[in-house]
Amino acid sequence: MTPVGTASALARFAAARILLAIPTLFGLATIVFFLSRLFPGDPATLHLAPSVPPAVAESIRTQFGLDRPLAEQYFSWLWAVLRGDFGFSFSHHVGVREVLVRTFPNTLLLGLATLAVEIAIAIALVYVAFIRPGKPVERLLMNGTLVVYALPSFWIGILLIATFAYGLGLLPSSQMYTSASAERSIGDLLQHLILPATAIALPGAAALARYLQSGSTSLLHSDHLVAARSMGLSEGRIFRSYVLPNAAASFVGAIGVEIGVLFAGVVTTEVLFSWPGMGRLTVSAILARDYPLILGCTLLAGAVVVVGNLVADLIAAFIDPRIRTRS
Amino acid sequence: MRILASVLLSCMLVSCSGRDRTTDMQEVVVAVEGDVDTFNPLFAEEITAGEINDLLFPGLVGSDFDETTGKLEYTPLLARSWEFINDGRGVLFHLVTGSLWSDGKPVTARDVQHSYILYADHEVGSIRQSAVSELRRTAGHLDVARSVEVWNDSTVIFHFEHPYPGQLFDAGLPILPAHVFTPIAPAELRTHAINRIPVSSGPFLLASWQPMQEVILTTNPACRIPAPARLQRLVFKVVTDYRSRVQQLKSGEVDIVSGLRPEDAGQLDAEAPHIRVISTAGRDYDFIGWNNIDPDAYTSNKAVIPHRLFGSATVRRALTMAIDRQELTSAYLGDHGQVAFGGVSPLFRWAYHDSLAATGGLPFDRRRAQALLEQEGWRPGNDGVRARNGVRFEFTLKVPAGNQLRSVVATAVQQYLKDVGVRMKIEMVERGTFWGEVMERKYDAWLAGFSVPLQMQLEDLWRSDLEAYPFNLTGFRNSRVDTILAATRRLADETAGRSLWREFQLIVHHEQPCTFLFWINNIVGMNTRVGGTDIGVLGTTHRAWEWHVNGRGPKAIAAR
Repeated sequence: MTPVGTASALARFAAARILLAIPTLFGLATIVFFLSRLFPGDPATLHLAPSVPPAVAESIRTQFGLDRPLAEQYFSWLWAVLRGDFGFSFSHHVGVREVLVRTFPNTLLLGLATLAVEIAIAIALVYVAFIRPGKPVERLLMNGTLVVYALPSFWIGILLIATFAYGLGLLPSSQMYTSASAERSIGDLLQHLILPATAIALPGAAALARYLQSGSTSLLHSDHLVAARSMGLSEGRIFRSYVLPNAAASFVGAIGVEIGVLFAGVVTTEVLFSWPGMGRLTVSAILARDYPLILGCTLLAGAVVVVGNLVADLIAAFIDPRIRTRS
Repeated sequence: MRILASVLLSCMLVSCSGRDRTTDMQEVVVAVEGDVDTFNPLFAEEITAGEINDLLFPGLVGSDFDETTGKLEYTPLLARSWEFINDGRGVLFHLVTGSLWSDGKPVTARDVQHSYILYADHEVGSIRQSAVSELRRTAGHLDVARSVEVWNDSTVIFHFEHPYPGQLFDAGLPILPAHVFTPIAPAELRTHAINRIPVSSGPFLLASWQPMQEVILTTNPACRIPAPARLQRLVFKVVTDYRSRVQQLKSGEVDIVSGLRPEDAGQLDAEAPHIRVISTAGRDYDFIGWNNIDPDAYTSNKAVIPHRLFGSATVRRALTMAIDRQELTSAYLGDHGQVAFGGVSPLFRWAYHDSLAATGGLPFDRRRAQALLEQEGWRPGNDGVRARNGVRFEFTLKVPAGNQLRSVVATAVQQYLKDVGVRMKIEMVERGTFWGEVMERKYDAWLAGFSVPLQMQLEDLWRSDLEAYPFNLTGFRNSRVDTILAATRRLADETAGRSLWREFQLIVHHEQPCTFLFWINNIVGMNTRVGGTDIGVLGTTHRAWEWHVNGRGPKAIAAR
């Protein structure tokens, strides 16, 4: 296929996926809108002390349209979202968009760092297993990944904090920057990133490693690897030049799936590490019955997963023409 | 892989050196669980926001709590002095002159008046609206511009409907800058940008706010209400995880943590010589709420009929006597709590019923509890569970999730009640759901906590009109209690209501609308390098402008 033909096929592929994403996000938002209203309690009463007159709660309900019929609330919210207005956060006293804009980059940063750590660990593990086929170290690594995969990020986070923050005192236990620091350096940020990113990355890395391992094992006795070995190429070179490229398409697809799992890990891990991101924001929004913020977080999280999967699929389709042909 | 390892190693090396920040700056770091929601006292709901706003926006008067008498004493802030006028129905305040807002405009009596206009405005919807409820009305209507009268720039008069104990308390709300707030429409205040960039007049100024991370206050050198803070910076660091807050206190990353658990307080006392543990007798109590009325009848048509299990005071007394509250208090709170027998805090010494306190209220007496249940017709069945007219004595205790103490106490209570033939299931409920449903009176029984106000005003929790007082969660109704609560509210000197409050405690003790478990101390851990603190009933950051640091920056201790 010519480069122009490749680009055109990729564009069609992307357009189809984006069209599919619109009803997905719409359905997600609708379900979350009505589910969130099933919770008992509302933002007007949840934080009010006994001394606050009931009239104040009524005033808040009226001000934010919480006293209107649910269907009316839904359609006015939907119409506002289509115009780019996500509403007002009751708990943060600012627009939802503003809250998301200041919070999302922090989660994106943590997510990308986590993804990088996941991929690096997965490739490193499979490489070690590849150059020691059938050896105890391979079995240990691959069985070990099963155990790590089963561990929740939250629990791994507690272990990491206990060991590296409080035990050895090497890394900070919470937040993005050292408290009260006048200058916010990249070094300071990286220190704070290591533990939460590792906590979320380890189970995902284990999953990716197993995925990559199954791909590399199937290639182990293939003709072109036998030929490469007979040419005297080192195992490391063979791994980089033949195994990884062959497994890349399916590996990238697995990363796309992993983005959703990663986002789920972020929710609990951000709370543990006091990371000022979307996960922590979502939890606090749910507890505060901050409906507009719950919906904003959900829509954004849904969009991230959809876009992440789309990018992964596009990369996979770019690498492997068979995928876009099938699609 | 090598690159990754290098990055990690470099970060750790930088970490070891970088975290050892030693400074001679007068800076204190307070770890807090929650973030600030707004820098506007009209709307601030979160505890952290309340504490910070009190430091940014002083009111006319401050307060101190006299632990000997159990009374609030008022101190000058924006008002340098005051006098009661018109037979106690008015208070004339003389303001400090020369005080400036952070934008350079003078603080005047007009700021006081406009602040109270905003607090009273329904359209604004301030959570502090109840503070204006006793201001004088004109022809039945509240006109704040007349009841908070500006005499001149430095004199303001508050006119009240009648004298009452909380006049100075209600006149002490944070004062806002009129010139900033006047141009903003009341309905737009809640969403306005001014809530994040405050123009203030207190001993601290807002230097920066990183949402969900930290708030940094700096001293306000121009402050005259009452004086510039001695600290150069006061930092509120948001650390959501409790365990992390404790560890950071130990390592010196933060200087002050409140809300410590008793087991951590003991450990810090024993193992961390640089930490001082302060345990303050609390305003918070935990209780088991028994729904006195039938939840279905009330939720369906507001009918008030006695609950099938808890409608009888005798049964409720039996349940209280079946639970060893002294044992629970000793086991889970140690020296950081005391058995509760009523809604009046032991802090209010003048009102507290000493003889009831001496016995802790109803004693733990399993036999007596069983006898009382028998007397009410609840007899043990074949499986040991009591029943009456085919109704078994079994119910579900709802407990808000996320509170470790309440979880273990609920389990202990389950065993105590089983021993007298009462079957109780426990259900943990998400906090928002819990309070939503408990307010709708849907539960039979629940375990929760309340915090009593600094003023002896308990009407919201105990008045019989369940529609007007929705926080009377148990549905307790008693006309004599209504009379007492109404009478105490109108006494000019609250201590004159001593006998009424004692009668109130006796009635509640007899009726047992709920089982009071214990008063919980607020335990604060503080680095010994912080001096000048006055941590007590009025909160952790009370008079924080007097704090100072004896030594180097918070991270110095963590240096390795």
